[in-house]
Amino acid sequence: MTISTSPVPLAAKATEDRAPVRQNRLWSWLIYIVGAVYFLVPLAATFYWSLRAEKGVFGLEAYRRLFVDANFLPAFSESIVNAVAAIFLSLLIIVPTAYWVTLRLPRLRAVVEFITLLPFVIPAVVLVFGLIRLYSRPPLLLTATYDSSRILLVCVYAALSFPYMFRSVDNGLRAMDVQALTEAAQSLGANWGTILFKVIFPNLRVALLSGALLTFAIVIGELTIALFMAQHTLGPYMANLTRSKVYEPSAMAIVAFAITWAAMGLIAYTSRERRQQ
Amino acid sequence: MSAAYLTLESVRKEFGAVLAVDTFNLDVAAGEFVSFLGPSGCGKTTTLRMVAGFEQPSSGTIRLGGKDITFAKPNERNIGMVFQSYALFPNMTVGQNVGFGLKVHGRPKHEIDTRVKEMLELIQLPNLEKRYPYQLSGGQQQRVALARALAIRPQVLLLDEPLSALDAKIRISLRAEIRAIQRELGITAIYVTHDQEEALSISDRIVVMNMGEIEQVGTPFEIYNFPKTQFVANFVGSVNNADAEVVDPTNGILSMDGVHLKTADVDMSNRMKGDKVKISIRPERFSFAAEPMKDNVVDCIIENITFLGSVVRIQISIGNTKFNMDTFNNPFLDLPAIGAMEKVMCSKEAVLVL
Repeated sequence: MTISTSPVPLAAKATEDRAPVRQNRLWSWLIYIVGAVYFLVPLAATFYWSLRAEKGVFGLEAYRRLFVDANFLPAFSESIVNAVAAIFLSLLIIVPTAYWVTLRLPRLRAVVEFITLLPFVIPAVVLVFGLIRLYSRPPLLLTATYDSSRILLVCVYAALSFPYMFRSVDNGLRAMDVQALTEAAQSLGANWGTILFKVIFPNLRVALLSGALLTFAIVIGELTIALFMAQHTLGPYMANLTRSKVYEPSAMAIVAFAITWAAMGLIAYTSRERRQQ
Repeated sequence: MSAAYLTLESVRKEFGAVLAVDTFNLDVAAGEFVSFLGPSGCGKTTTLRMVAGFEQPSSGTIRLGGKDITFAKPNERNIGMVFQSYALFPNMTVGQNVGFGLKVHGRPKHEIDTRVKEMLELIQLPNLEKRYPYQLSGGQQQRVALARALAIRPQVLLLDEPLSALDAKIRISLRAEIRAIQRELGITAIYVTHDQEEALSISDRIVVMNMGEIEQVGTPFEIYNFPKTQFVANFVGSVNNADAEVVDPTNGILSMDGVHLKTADVDMSNRMKGDKVKISIRPERFSFAAEPMKDNVVDCIIENITFLGSVVRIQISIGNTKFNMDTFNNPFLDLPAIGAMEKVMCSKEAVLVL
């Protein structure tokens, strides 16, 4: 028996096969373009508006006014300090918890995961009213002064970061052999503190950075809780700005975007470095 | 054997309703290399983990150098451990990994540096101090893990299937290296493996385990040649098993499908005429009868011949029972034809009654 080969029908079949792929690619591009337009047009419009502070001139006047405003830098620095404090508090709570759950109590993972998700479920307004009620009377009077309210605010921000922080840390822990590393360190004489700070934390660097930057991005512009706790942070500052100025709010929005994007870019960069390793 | 250095006394471990290790008794002498051998789930790793302190015995006592360490914390035992997954710290260089234990113990920097160099020389990787674990091969990583475990000068070295993740060639060279290092340092070592060849080649003594219990403890020679149970005979090496009946217990005569076989088994004196027994014969203990011997020359039919490289496996029938017979390959081997009637023999010591 002989087998005949016919290049023409095969080529035709290949062309036929390629047609749906091409069509799919077209749809992909279309969706991508619609998505990009949806996100970028408002941003571009905001940026355009922020450049028109001086009549008839495109310039950075709105940005200049924003940065020379006596209230901007204090609010901005206060938000940064709050964010950093919340990140550290969150790390101190989440890393040992996630580590212990991975190592000794894997059955409790679902419960801990659910608890860390609560900030997603409870609206910020409900949360803040609950906190004010709880911490406005002895024995836990934390809303009496500005500084004590600020401590409470940092604690709330730490709780708000739990969904992001837990997931990041949990993913990081799953990516390494926690039990073997722990036992290896133990057999070499290390105690729990040494294991946590010399072995686990350094190997979670990327995960911790992701969680920290996400927390930073959320906390830096948070409005509702800060407003109800009468804190002079960036969120309430932005809200005031929107009510009283025309161009500066747009400039502020662009600055906030830039900070968030810088945080996201840093996450992407560090994750890529880790993958290359 | 010298006095016990590591003692496990009636050690038992239960995980809920599951009995993982049952009444484990073992004395290990200083400088001895003991392997725990058995199938998955036999309790060998659990026993090792109890020695390391990662699991606590449900009952029993573990003593090291005369000191009761049954409930001591793992970081207070001075026991080095090598893991199957290497468990090198990914954030540290090779040098930092090897020096980690000494740093934890607060040793001065110059002492750590000297010891790290010494250990890297020992494992023949002196130039890799600055590399990270991900820059090393599996074999190199495991050697670094060994150096790290030895750097703290442990009283006992535990190795939990350290070669399982490596390819066959590296496994063979590395196991010889592990044994050479252990001998050079004179360190007491316990090695867990399910690979019988590995256990036979590396150990002073082997503990064969099954379902949480010790089946037999002995030298590799004893374990292979004189297995005490059917499990040991079957688990370590290849073996032919057959049913037989005691004909003359005084002279060790058995009958298998009407064919008389003689055994040197010492337990025969405890048997009665007519007792049903199981016999085991290693395939290499058979040979073609070039001249009549006194013991166990029997007729057989050649059923099949399989070429296995260094060995040729011949399947024979003695009466109604099929046996495997192994003979070393050589280019001039004169093999019988399939279906031919031949005479084979085995010594009475080769017939084990289990």
